[in-house]
Amino acid sequence: MILKSIKIKNFRSYYGESIFELSEGLTLIIGGNGDGKTTFFEALEWLFNTSTEDIKESNISAKRKAELEICESDEVAVSIVFEHDGEKELEKSFTFERISKDNVRCKDFKFFGYENSGSERYSVKGSNLLEQSFDAVIRKYCLFKGESTLNVFDNTTALKTLVETFSGIKRFDDLVELSTDFEAKSQNAVNKEMLNDKKCRQKANDLNFRLTKVKDEIQTLKSDIKQQDEAINSYAAKLEILEHNQEASEQYQDIKNRIKGLSDKRAKMRNYTLVDYNAMLLDESWILRSFPKVLQEYQKKASALSKQKRKLKTQEDERRGEERGKQIAIEHIQKLANGAVELPWNLPDQETMQEMLDDHICKVCGREALEGSEAYEFMKNKLNEYLRHIQETTKKDEQKDEKPLFTNSYIDELHTRQIRMSGEDEQRIAGIATEVSGQLKFIQDRKIDLDKIEKELQEAEDEKSRLLIQSSDLTEEMLEKDFNDIKGYFDQKGRAEIRVAELTLQLKRKEDEKRELDEEFAGLEPENTSVKMYQRVHTALREIMKAFTNAKERNVTEFLTSLEKKANTYLGKLNENDFHGVIYLRRTAEGSARIELCSEDGTIIPNPSDSQKTTMYMSVLFAISEITTLKREQDYPLIFDAPTSNMGGFKENSFYNVIDKINKQCIIVTKDLLIEDKTTGESSLDNKQINQLTCSVYRISKAADYSQTGLSTIQTTTTKIK
Amino acid sequence: MATESLYEIWAKRNPEWEIRYENNIIKTFCDYNRGATSMREDRAKILGAGYEIFIVAFFIGLYYNQKKPLTTENRKRKSFGWAIQNWGNIESRGGRKPYPKLREYIFAALVARTDVDFIALDKGEITARKAVDMLMQTMEEYANFGFHFMEDKLIDNPGYFYASNAFLEVFLSFDASVSKSEDDEEPEALD
Repeated sequence: MILKSIKIKNFRSYYGESIFELSEGLTLIIGGNGDGKTTFFEALEWLFNTSTEDIKESNISAKRKAELEICESDEVAVSIVFEHDGEKELEKSFTFERISKDNVRCKDFKFFGYENSGSERYSVKGSNLLEQSFDAVIRKYCLFKGESTLNVFDNTTALKTLVETFSGIKRFDDLVELSTDFEAKSQNAVNKEMLNDKKCRQKANDLNFRLTKVKDEIQTLKSDIKQQDEAINSYAAKLEILEHNQEASEQYQDIKNRIKGLSDKRAKMRNYTLVDYNAMLLDESWILRSFPKVLQEYQKKASALSKQKRKLKTQEDERRGEERGKQIAIEHIQKLANGAVELPWNLPDQETMQEMLDDHICKVCGREALEGSEAYEFMKNKLNEYLRHIQETTKKDEQKDEKPLFTNSYIDELHTRQIRMSGEDEQRIAGIATEVSGQLKFIQDRKIDLDKIEKELQEAEDEKSRLLIQSSDLTEEMLEKDFNDIKGYFDQKGRAEIRVAELTLQLKRKEDEKRELDEEFAGLEPENTSVKMYQRVHTALREIMKAFTNAKERNVTEFLTSLEKKANTYLGKLNENDFHGVIYLRRTAEGSARIELCSEDGTIIPNPSDSQKTTMYMSVLFAISEITTLKREQDYPLIFDAPTSNMGGFKENSFYNVIDKINKQCIIVTKDLLIEDKTTGESSLDNKQINQLTCSVYRISKAADYSQTGLSTIQTTTTKIK
Repeated sequence: MATESLYEIWAKRNPEWEIRYENNIIKTFCDYNRGATSMREDRAKILGAGYEIFIVAFFIGLYYNQKKPLTTENRKRKSFGWAIQNWGNIESRGGRKPYPKLREYIFAALVARTDVDFIALDKGEITARKAVDMLMQTMEEYANFGFHFMEDKLIDNPGYFYASNAFLEVFLSFDASVSKSEDDEEPEALD
């Protein structure tokens, strides 16, 4: 089946007739949001739906409906012209008629096909023609709305349906079931007969018991494996949802960490800058910044006072000394004047007298004065008299001394204080100015840092807001939660996978054990000939069952291998010049299969990007389509609605280039290849990209004169670009 | 000889200030006369006890080297009732810490800037009390100038000193250079 054209008439936004002529390769239908892309796709879905006679009023073009006068009528129709063993046409339609100002009646549902036989054209039942040319099973693998529907292995019966539809041999399941049933029945019969055989009864009983036990164990293991497989699938599904948000979540975490780091830094900087300058003036003596001069004044003054005081004291002492000398001289003169016989007490002086005593001679009269002589004793007495006199005079002088000049020592206090305040204290005071300016410079620098941090913080907050706005369906809480959940699910999925591997190994051992027991049972040699007969029949039936089971397995395996191979060829093409991994189609315990993107060594790529996943699913679809073509000797179109909405711009472009070159009819409805003018918000075609493609391109858009609030003004216009 | 030092006698004193600064300056910037139970932060005061603004005012007068005699009317003057010897003995809390040493520098400044005849004092010709009176007068007159200076600023802009660094800026405006005088060793001629 190759689609040649599609006609849509009065279907929702498609006012009047819109005709799309399709190429045998890729046809792109490009439109922005609200331009009628999904409506195009849904028109086809409506046409292909054979389950109801759907004549919903909501499918009528609002614009056309509004135009109708009472009693006037028109029709909604979707039709295709296609090639399938000759050219054929399929049309679904219904009539709508305005019966009152507010009411429209829908009637005359029609679903017809037209075939040409020679030059004749005759009509057939639409549903029959559709089933014959494009049956429901094929359609399931041809129409895809959004990327979420691309995974065709998303349900447990998918593989069975696929194998039944596309593999070489159908109905294998029935044959396996039938032969298994026969085998079981014949086994029962043999068992029963064996119990009547004297020779083998004991052994047979024993083997039966062990077989039953092994079968039970196998059953339990299978059920466990199934359970774990379901868990894996369930976690995989959850992960898929979370992974979808993972990028946003990681970005969010990154921003959050940045905000935290910056906030901490800001708090630190704030601490540095929040200085209580008034307290610093007192507590840190900043108020003494200009004090050195005052201190110098004090020091000079205290020092000068101290010097002056000492000077005054010396002067006073000298004056008093002089006074005393004068007094003594006066006293001497007074004694001589009295006309005393003796010489004054101080003549000769102490020194002279000592010398005369030492020399034993009186140097005044020149006579000898030997020790012990009268003259010697005289001189000795004279010296003692002199010393006594000196002592008495000194004592007397002291007794009549004046009151001291300074009675207080406040200047000394000031001087002591001055000495204490010089050195270290002085240095400290002199250093305050530098300390203050250093501290202020430091604070100023931290304020600059703070400003910078504030700015960065604001940027990070803005980035967070932008992220939340972009991911409008995500809340901050969800992003927070997702990040934690992903780790948990990965762990749980990993554990389940390990468990499945263990259980599978155990299952294999049990199955080997069962096989050995079966063989042992088959090897029993009963005496009884009828038992022997049963045994032979059972052996034959068992072999038949094995043959069917193995054939079924091989069929599925071959199908999957071939599908996998083809899918990987497409994957390579769709991801030219980029890493794409390898597609593995793994069978699950419940009998279906799972698509996995792996590295070449078979390890699963944990977080394939959205574009990797989309190309992976599409590759499988192309592969299925290719097999279909081979098996049915017919080609079928693949119709996608917005399959690339998660891809980046660069990826999209190469994606269309590749699809353009794949020899396969594809209709893709998309908003890619549009360039949006940021200032006007208007979109225009990316002609540079489009010119590189060889495919047909249609542009659909809203007719310009629409009202923003009136549905009845909306009309999709269709323009063939190439 | 008196056992009490001049510093000790001075430190027992309470300087006076003009009552007219009580409301617009002292109570505005300090916790003066408001009870001691709540911290200054609670009331958004920029300083603690009343004497703190007095110290600030004193240093402004000192650095401007401007004295302003106080009113002679006793009823228009007042003291904190908190002797100088207690000034700066604050608790280390709320980011503040004690600064007792500052008192000694105030004393030194007063000695430097007051014409007390210390020779006469040591001779016993004038009493220590009289000398300290003179020191106190210098202290009060410097502070009085400082209050006057603040009042002037506040008349122009009532929020002037609420800028966190306004007082600091005043003190940064004073010259802080240290002159290297050659005659350090030479005693000054004294009258």
